[in-house]
Amino acid sequence: MIRFPYVREALTQVFSKPSTEKYPFVKKEAPENYRGRIKFHPDRCINCGMCIRVCSPGAIVRTVEKQEDGDLVTMEFHMDSCTFCQMCADFCTKNSIELTKDYEMVASDPKDLIESGTFLKKKPVPKKPISDELPPAPKVDDPEM
Amino acid sequence: MFKKLIDNSTAKSPWIYHINAGSCNGCDIELVAVLTPRYDAERFGFKLAGTPRHADIVVVSGPVTSQSKERLIRTLEQVPEPRVIVSLGSCPRSCNVFKGSYSVEGPLDKFCHVDISVAGCAPKPEAIVLGLAQAAQLLKQKREEAAQK
Ligand code: SF4
Ligand code: SF4
Repeated sequence: MIRFPYVREALTQVFSKPSTEKYPFVKKEAPENYRGRIKFHPDRCINCGMCIRVCSPGAIVRTVEKQEDGDLVTMEFHMDSCTFCQMCADFCTKNSIELTKDYEMVASDPKDLIESGTFLKKKPVPKKPISDELPPAPKVDDPEM
Repeated sequence: MFKKLIDNSTAKSPWIYHINAGSCNGCDIELVAVLTPRYDAERFGFKLAGTPRHADIVVVSGPVTSQSKERLIRTLEQVPEPRVIVSLGSCPRSCNVFKGSYSVEGPLDKFCHVDISVAGCAPKPEAIVLGLAQAAQLLKQKREEAAQK
């Protein structure tokens, strides 16, 4: 008897759906913990500089503008320079950096790949000055002395 | 009549040429994945060309190392106008972690104008498909502008 070893496989392939992703028409969600476009929350940042320190490609630029009641800090995340390692988000104690699941980072203008946030870091309120006066001297006629 | 037919067909099928200018191979693998049946950029007519002289879209990956700089310039010169240059990943845009290295001469926009940049390290294949689609649109625009002149 002649055997046709691949007939079944061929028939199932003819009638099954193609394995191609229908990408631009059907958007696919990125997997869990995907490290995509950076989102910065300037309201939580305290300008500690830890993210700049751990970023190996130097993708984070901080500009500080002196103002009357504090510093105007602008953090810029250059996503065209980033390796998406998530070190900045892991080291940020205030959770102000977030790597979202948005993977569609395509731009014809490089400015579209910069995520920036500005916030005002207020000057610390000066503490009450300690008075110059010496504390009162202990009493001499203390019985225990 | 034939010219119109040729114009229509070339608009529907832009050919890609891929230059690796010292990339780590991450982006290159993703670009190849885009051309496989899973993501299938060939649905939209993209085809990998064997020579820069046949290409419409040039995809560059890598931070442009000293070794590859000469070749990159020579290859880009051979691509006929109108062309669209797509930078793949962070490296050609900014040299990424290699910036400041003695053997890196990038970024790419020192040597040519970059039309579309796809960010990511490495970019997700979906993002590359999107980038190529935008590049094809830009190419169509450039062709129309060139025809009007
Ligand atoms: S994800 Fe990594 S490379 Fe990107 S900004 Fe954060 S620390 Fe820098
Ligand atoms: S983003 Fe986070 S780590 Fe970076 S300066 Fe602000 S608080 Fe510090």
